[in-house]
Amino acid sequence: MLEAGICKYVVITYGHSALWGGGMYQMLLQLTGNEAAFGHFGAVGGYALAAMRGMHEFSTGPETWKHIAMGQRKWANLNPAAMMHKKAMSEEDYYNAPMVVEPLRLFDNCLINDGGRAIIITTAERARDLKQPPVLIAGMGHHNPSNEIGQAKYMAGPTGAKKAGEAAFQMAGIGVGDVDACQIYDCFTYTVELTMQDYGFFGRGEGEDWFKGGTIEPGGRMPLNTSGGQLSEAYYMGLTPMSEAVMQLRGQCGDRQLGPKTNTKEPEIILCSDNGGILQSNACYIFRKG
Amino acid sequence: MDLKDKYAVVGVGYTPQGKVPERTSVSFHQEAVANAIQDAGLKKEDIDGLISYRHFPPCPGEPNLTPQTISQYLGLTPSYASQDAN
Repeated sequence: MLEAGICKYVVITYGHSALWGGGMYQMLLQLTGNEAAFGHFGAVGGYALAAMRGMHEFSTGPETWKHIAMGQRKWANLNPAAMMHKKAMSEEDYYNAPMVVEPLRLFDNCLINDGGRAIIITTAERARDLKQPPVLIAGMGHHNPSNEIGQAKYMAGPTGAKKAGEAAFQMAGIGVGDVDACQIYDCFTYTVELTMQDYGFFGRGEGEDWFKGGTIEPGGRMPLNTSGGQLSEAYYMGLTPMSEAVMQLRGQCGDRQLGPKTNTKEPEIILCSDNGGILQSNACYIFRKG
Repeated sequence: MDLKDKYAVVGVGYTPQGKVPERTSVSFHQEAVANAIQDAGLKKEDIDGLISYRHFPPCPGEPNLTPQTISQYLGLTPSYASQDAN
């Protein structure tokens, strides 16, 4: 619409009374089809099935996912607005949390919350005259494998992230080595691992080695979901990752700001993802400081 | 069509989050969009496109939140309105 000149300023908005208003429960009921007769209902069941398939096909499991849950929680502990801001998570906490649907424990699941978020997009030219430091969209790519999980052949990857990522990197003219931080759609920990694997940050089954040792945490070499993400900040679909990427590149993130404050690289380029259904769609956005 | 670096994010809008009682879904759209407009230093009248995030069934007792309904509650008359965004 912007390219065609039909619009000058486009707002992308999300709002949901998901917790107090019971909205998320309605959504999860809608996801429930005939497969409920076999014990599969809601969203956790679908992703648990995919995660189990991942464990079967390549080396993954809670030993990998704990690093994602705990790493993101450390970021949330630096973000006063995050729902889990005051709650630390130890490895013991991670393993002792109840299983929701095997193999996904409670802290492998994202949060359910009330709230909203919005972003405004315009041309780079108009952006230069506005109030905030502009954050440019350097690359984007989308891919929609679309099949419901029952018919999906991509539960252990490659998901839509493969082609979406390739398209975004191609547009931006960069590779994974140029990315300073990632904001990845994290409905579940496994989604983060699979998305990063399909984007090419590590080889198939190498996630445990890649995530261990604080890679994604404050002080780590690839900070990821620095607001706490949907696992530990709040859930706004793709706007949780995208809004955080923008604020980090603007340098307005307070105690969690990437750079000297968190002993990380000052970011020029941040990669974001969104994902829909049960791994049925993927969008990859690469933002850079304007 | 090379879109590289042609477009920019210029505003971000937040709202209270967590368990926030006595609030409708559309009220969160209103607050988030108003805050994003303010953050960008724009006026409401500047917004001529609206994309609402992918569709959820309405919360009990709430209207179905189509892009048109959201625009109406926001007092916007966009040239383009859709439900998209992955």
